[in-house]
Amino acid sequence: MSEFKRQHPAAAVDQLFTLIRKNLVTFIILFFLSTRGNGNSIFLYIFFGSLVLSLVTGFLGWWLFTYRVHNDELQIKKGILVRKNLYLSKERIQVIDLTEGIVQRLFGLVKLEVKTAGSGTETATINAISRDEAERLRAELRGRSTTEVVAEVGEQSVDVIDDVLETWKLSKRDLMMAAITSGNFGLIASILGAISGQLDSFITEENLDFVIDHLPGASNVTLVIAVIVAIIVISWTLSFLGIVLKYSDFKVERTATDLIITSGLIERKHITVPYNRIQAIRFVEGVLRQPLGYGALYVESAGFEIKENERSITLLPYISKHEIQTFFKTFLPEYEQNELTIKPPKKALFKYIRRPNYLFLLLLPIAWYLFDYGWGILIFIPFFMYLGWVQFRDAGLNLSQNILTIRYRSLARVTAFIKQNRIQTIGQRVNPLQARRDLASLTVTAASGAKGIEFKIRDLDAGEVIEALNWAVDKRS
Amino acid sequence: MNRIPETRIDEKAIKAWVISGLVLGLVWLAVPALAFYYSYKIEPIPQYILWSLLASMLVIYLVNALIVPKIRWQRWRYDITENEIDLQRGFIVRKRTVIPINRIQHVDTSQGPIYRKLSLSSVKISTAATTHEIPALDDETAADVRNKISLLVRKAKEDV
Repeated sequence: MSEFKRQHPAAAVDQLFTLIRKNLVTFIILFFLSTRGNGNSIFLYIFFGSLVLSLVTGFLGWWLFTYRVHNDELQIKKGILVRKNLYLSKERIQVIDLTEGIVQRLFGLVKLEVKTAGSGTETATINAISRDEAERLRAELRGRSTTEVVAEVGEQSVDVIDDVLETWKLSKRDLMMAAITSGNFGLIASILGAISGQLDSFITEENLDFVIDHLPGASNVTLVIAVIVAIIVISWTLSFLGIVLKYSDFKVERTATDLIITSGLIERKHITVPYNRIQAIRFVEGVLRQPLGYGALYVESAGFEIKENERSITLLPYISKHEIQTFFKTFLPEYEQNELTIKPPKKALFKYIRRPNYLFLLLLPIAWYLFDYGWGILIFIPFFMYLGWVQFRDAGLNLSQNILTIRYRSLARVTAFIKQNRIQTIGQRVNPLQARRDLASLTVTAASGAKGIEFKIRDLDAGEVIEALNWAVDKRS
Repeated sequence: MNRIPETRIDEKAIKAWVISGLVLGLVWLAVPALAFYYSYKIEPIPQYILWSLLASMLVIYLVNALIVPKIRWQRWRYDITENEIDLQRGFIVRKRTVIPINRIQHVDTSQGPIYRKLSLSSVKISTAATTHEIPALDDETAADVRNKISLLVRKAKEDV
């Protein structure tokens, strides 16, 4: 019988920082408004008032937050105005995360997050507890009950469960390569683009003339190119630093029951994924990585997570496609890499080559209308045709005894491995053009985060799609 | 599985969808209504644009409310067997979804005001990843389907 406990008082500090960080803009505005006046502006009171309020909230939040593990449940009581009792039964726990943020590191503490499956539930977070305490909780809350495991490994001491059997580390060289080839600078570029849109007021005619006068050889065109290059360089640098910070000292360990992933330079993360909670494995070869023969490996688990980019857990940030089979053998023995024997038939080739151009045909009249040389975008057609051909070449499916392997490409090439009994739904889509040629698309859904993740392969032979449906519902002895 | 599913949904579905199409579809008519309002109160728009807009929206409204429900009903088929639930539907793109029984997490029935008037219910089937709906079953059939599925699920999970 354990008693309800409080977190380390540093939780109050952490909460204060989180509050300030979330409302940073408000605080800054309040600060400026209050210092601008003659000393006794009303905003000064509001500013200090909200500071005091945050302090009090931080303290009360810590004081009123208690937790314990009891009856195989993690029980949390929290809330200042609305009291909340959170009970998470350990059979439902999908993933346990330990994170050392900046505040936690100052005090030698960790943050513990417990994720359960399905919507309507929520992540239980204990913000600041000592590492020993966290390890103790983690041991108590692992996916399977101790008795179950003891029955399996025999009468040896229970400590065996925690023993690390295998370790895989990301080398410095691979970390650098992962950072250099990180593909998400496109995203950052678009963000920067949006920001530069906000800067319109600064980019006036006069300012431009000034720049053009003072930079020899600068014209409108070179200026535009310079801005684009600058955005790409900045976003690439940001993405580079992001990857280095996130995946420094990256390490995957395997115990009898879990995969444990540890990484991060400033904020260290420690994620425990029980084997029996793995829903699917995904290998993504980015445009820059594929020519080098490398990609990233992700694990899908059904932990509750709303944000799209946080749903999948990075299992390996950078790995050669030739090493995957070895990695599976040592870390994911139930998975295997199979040759993709089911491919889209030849008659689907033209559909593949045409498809990337459809969007483009919609854009064409608009571009034609808006720009002098709008029809110039026609030069992209061969590029899109090439993309279509590559998509055709890479699409493939394999149905082995227990594993469904599906590979397709939009821009990056994705290979997904799903165990038969983890397939949530499987479906067939036939549009009128496909019906005429006896083709069909196949969709496979696995659980991931609060929602599912869908894998889709287009224009397979209709008969082979039916075969896949049969395979998926077939009962294994 | 080589044969496509055969069970149809209730024929009253057509009536229910026509009614909801007529009511909710009024949104389509809001567009020309706004255009007329703009034309008379703020700045005139050429008459032929106004009238062709009205005509095309009216056509969309009527087709959507009066013709589509019939076809949609004809296309909707489902089957529930010991191992899977098989759904097939789709107006232009034919969609077929197969849900293995032992992946199902819960089933429930629900009905809106129009369904209630016609004593229809829809059955919602949830897995860990997705939710699917068999629309417009007779109240009794819906209850049967729900019970049958939950029974099958219980049986399948005992097997494992």
